[in-house]
Amino acid sequence: MKLILSDRTLALPECGFDVEWIDLSQLDITNCVGCFGCWTRTPGKCVIRDDAVRVYPRIAESSQVMYISRIRYGGYDTPMKTMLERAIPIQQAFIRLVEGETHHVQRRVVPKRAVIIGYGARSDAERALFRRLVARNARNMNFERHRVVFAAEQDLEQIVREEVLAWEASC
Amino acid sequence: MGSVMLINASPRAPRSNSRRYAELFIRAWPGESACFALTKTNHLELCGELEHYSDLLLVFPLYADGIPVTLLNFLKTLEEHPPRHRPTVSVLINCGFLEPGQNDVAVQMVELFCGQNGYPFGSVLKIGGGEAILDTPFRGLVRRKLRKLAGAISAGRHRSLQVTMPLPKRLFLRASTAYWTDMGRRGGVTREQMATMEIEGR
Repeated sequence: MKLILSDRTLALPECGFDVEWIDLSQLDITNCVGCFGCWTRTPGKCVIRDDAVRVYPRIAESSQVMYISRIRYGGYDTPMKTMLERAIPIQQAFIRLVEGETHHVQRRVVPKRAVIIGYGARSDAERALFRRLVARNARNMNFERHRVVFAAEQDLEQIVREEVLAWEASC
Repeated sequence: MGSVMLINASPRAPRSNSRRYAELFIRAWPGESACFALTKTNHLELCGELEHYSDLLLVFPLYADGIPVTLLNFLKTLEEHPPRHRPTVSVLINCGFLEPGQNDVAVQMVELFCGQNGYPFGSVLKIGGGEAILDTPFRGLVRRKLRKLAGAISAGRHRSLQVTMPLPKRLFLRASTAYWTDMGRRGGVTREQMATMEIEGR
């Protein structure tokens, strides 16, 4: 399964049957409250029963993901960051070593090829920091390969279309 | 000596480890200080309050490899409503991983915000093993570093400090497993249940 998560509505080309596009701007997703309930009370399930609970299983199941987000202070802007924080039920509380570093054990999370498209960066320094963030995500979010693409806001839709078509062509 | 405003930007601010770190910092701080918990609705109030302080200390946990979204949203508000006199911004961050360096990207995000918005960037303390370290014999190491952080901020120096549990990684894994297993037991959940591979029951 392939998953596109975007923080805004986009006109995407016709996607294959195994591609799901989730437009976070149309969902009701509140902030993680840091209760650890998804680790210690209802393992694998968030106690907040809003739209996030149908998104994080999709993240876990997908072998290819495309995240599309505005960049803010070198990271994801609010919609994407809120969702990624709410995705911690797909991990366990327990810690393991990954390439010599401590990280959470993943539940049933398929290893992923990830394309992260960031737009709206204000400087090269911000783009460089975003790259470092995604490299950290790769370890914590089970990316076996990842690629970061930067877009000017006015070019975003075109760049996303090209990436989606490249996905389709690679199958 | 200046005055420091602490903002606890943990999503679970009232019962967070960040609150405990903030309290320990205040004990080590020689001058005027005040600590505020960040909520969804008090961002403008805190932007106004900043006028009264020479220093701002952001206290927060690492969240999904970066700053928590609560803090991100506050920084966006602060960008729109800056105080007339910009305080020096310092960072006190903790993560549950053993390596304090896993906090680096989040620290750099705050530093980038400061650069984009004209705030002097001050000192940093990065804490590893931060979920549990205050309840271990290593809490004294944290207190010592907090005193150094307070001294650096008070003196207007830029220092980057870090502290963690001085344990081999394998021992840390065992200790953290015991810690989390105990957390689950208190909620009536076994270790095996916590280790389920199912997500939303599938």
